Amino acid sequence: MNRRRGLVLGGLLLALAAAVIVAVGVGTVPIRPWDTLRLVAWKLGLAARPVGVPESTAVILFELRVPRVALGVVVGAALAVSGTLFQALFRNPMADPAIIGVSSGAALGAIAVILATGGALSGGLAVSAAAFAGAVVVAFGVYRLARIGPAVQVATLLLAGIAVASVLSSVITMLMASSGEQIRSIYFWLLGGLQARGWDAVAASGPLVVVGVAVALLEIRDLNLVSLGEERAAQLGLEVERFKRTSLGVGALLAAAAVSVAGVIGFVGLMTPHILRLVVGADHRHLLPASVVAGAILMVLADLAARTIVAPEEIPVGAVTALLGGPFFLYLLRRQRGAVRA
Amino acid sequence: MGRSVPDGSRAPGAPAGLRLRAVTAGYGGAPVLRGVDLTVRPREVVGLIGPNGSGKTTLVRVASRALRPRSGSVDVAGRDPYVLSARHAARLVAVVPQDAPATLGFTALEVVLMGRSAHLSPWGGGGPEDYRRAREAMEAAGVHHLADRDVDRLSGGERQRVVLAQALCQDAPVLLLDEPTTHLDPGHVVAILEVVRTLARDRDRAVLAVFHDLNLASASCDRLVALDGGRIVADGPPDEVITRSFLHEAYGVEADVYPHAVTGRPVVVLGPPLRPFRARGLPRAHVVGGAGRGAPVMRALAEAGYEVTAGVLHATDTDAVVAERLNLERITVPPFSEIDAQAAQECVAMMRRAAVVVVCDAPYGPGNLANLEAAVRAAEEGVAVVLLEQVPARERDFTGGRATELWERLAGRARVVRSFEEVLA
Repeated sequence: MNRRRGLVLGGLLLALAAAVIVAVGVGTVPIRPWDTLRLVAWKLGLAARPVGVPESTAVILFELRVPRVALGVVVGAALAVSGTLFQALFRNPMADPAIIGVSSGAALGAIAVILATGGALSGGLAVSAAAFAGAVVVAFGVYRLARIGPAVQVATLLLAGIAVASVLSSVITMLMASSGEQIRSIYFWLLGGLQARGWDAVAASGPLVVVGVAVALLEIRDLNLVSLGEERAAQLGLEVERFKRTSLGVGALLAAAAVSVAGVIGFVGLMTPHILRLVVGADHRHLLPASVVAGAILMVLADLAARTIVAPEEIPVGAVTALLGGPFFLYLLRRQRGAVRA
Repeated sequence: MGRSVPDGSRAPGAPAGLRLRAVTAGYGGAPVLRGVDLTVRPREVVGLIGPNGSGKTTLVRVASRALRPRSGSVDVAGRDPYVLSARHAARLVAVVPQDAPATLGFTALEVVLMGRSAHLSPWGGGGPEDYRRAREAMEAAGVHHLADRDVDRLSGGERQRVVLAQALCQDAPVLLLDEPTTHLDPGHVVAILEVVRTLARDRDRAVLAVFHDLNLASASCDRLVALDGGRIVADGPPDEVITRSFLHEAYGVEADVYPHAVTGRPVVVLGPPLRPFRARGLPRAHVVGGAGRGAPVMRALAEAGYEVTAGVLHATDTDAVVAERLNLERITVPPFSEIDAQAAQECVAMMRRAAVVVVCDAPYGPGNLANLEAAVRAAEEGVAVVLLEQVPARERDFTGGRATELWERLAGRARVVRSFEEVLA
């Protein structure tokens, strides 16, 4: 079993490498995987400048494609880990930063700062901080609202999430309505996308995500305990209140880091841990590392789809994940109800 | 067996076990526990009983560091769990909760291993020793064959045993069980309680177990503590705690309590209570019983409204106890004595006044042969007799044929029936 889980993680890493190489190669100027590898080796100082590859190809690769794909990796990992944390804390497989309104909270915070400062749509410490503040408030709020008794009921969680998210989105709508010419760009940002963000966005979100994922990885065993319920976890030796604060905070941080550079992208945090549970089981020692990698893969592929399906036009990547995730969510909901009845 | 495992977490010389002193606790509003004093020593299995809402689960929560008492002190293995970290406390006290809610799809082994959390270094996984203990606990709880199964797909009873295994491998000197047998079938109830008792005896654990089933509590605990309205109303050996008056006051039931024939522990019999007999105008019926054969007949006749008399009975025999509880007019002689001439005379007189005499198929020996002789006399004087015969006369004749002979003479003059229902017909 453990051996198989090791193989799964190895397989996922290989799949991520493959997805990245394919994704950076696809576009109006196709780049062959072999050229990509040679250019990367050159950039890392491992090999000589590859002959026969035009200078423009290197620019496209390193200034456009790689940052975009890197951002996909960062955002995907952030959303997947955030979803995994929330699912363990809420003891509920339907939890996802977008579904429970945390992403909306982050978006509201970010938009408020963007409008107030007339600043750019991505990056910027103020934007990240505001997104984080919004996400944290919603995460703790929904947790309090949804938690009746020892476990968070699916219905209460979803209803609390829906209520909070709709209040937030109406506030966002009001802000947007009064935002004048920025409305269109804010709208597209809200739909979620990795386009034209560049290295700045990676630099803005990457470190936060690395820190968040690292903290989450250190909490793996406690995540297992809290999945049994707060009281049981305490009986088994977990300092529950402190743990809850940390992991709700980290979940919110990861969601905010993703939202502040890529807008609201739903369902990655829902689907990734769910599918992985079927493969590696519920133990977070295996689930969480796999989620980091699988979330990145899912995001890179979804973004690839977003920019190729109707190329040269792009569709927002949030629409792609929703297209996949919506039916998946409904399937889960049906299965949950079945499980409750059984 | 018989070895005791040294426990490094116990402060040297400190009193082990569980001790609550003057504990008052609740959830806001009126306190649920009011001034509770309770001690469970190592090697002791103490049963906590009491009606719904009496505070049993609250007491378990207080003792397990889940609910800080408003006043009073809690002491597990010599330490106050509320000043310790959750991790440290979990090494001193383990809990088996009432129900095991669904997880996110862990395997049984993974769930059991989580019981070792408090013993592991903060970031370390379980080592071979932890796996060994987890396997050992699973074997004790009878769930080793479920190790790789998804706990959410196990039955309620299997899941309860997985959680028991989880608590067992926590290796704490104090073990609290909140209704540990609710979802278990009788086979597993017996097995689990035996595991717990062995653990207490061989590993010096102090065990406090909440029970709803009073007979189970009585049979499996050396000491019972009864809670009612948040106070301890009784604390002692089962026969001192489980009494008719306790059942009446705490649970509001009129139940019978008998000492178990083999263990002497109190046995509670619930169900419609035996009410003292009140005549409702039907004719008199006399019952000749013995060795408990008359009890159901007396009860059925009394409930139907007959004015029931009984005799001759031997004191302390079940039939004598039942006749007394039904408050019947009766004739009694000392236990195991022969029925003397005077009692026999009175009995015949009692039979004469009855519209019908029911003779039950008791075993007959020299001690009660006079009952048959009295019945024969009454029958010959024309009193209606019903013979209840489920066991052939010969098989319960301990008089060398005399009883069978009398029975057959009676049968010639009586209606012979095979069931209690026919007696009433």
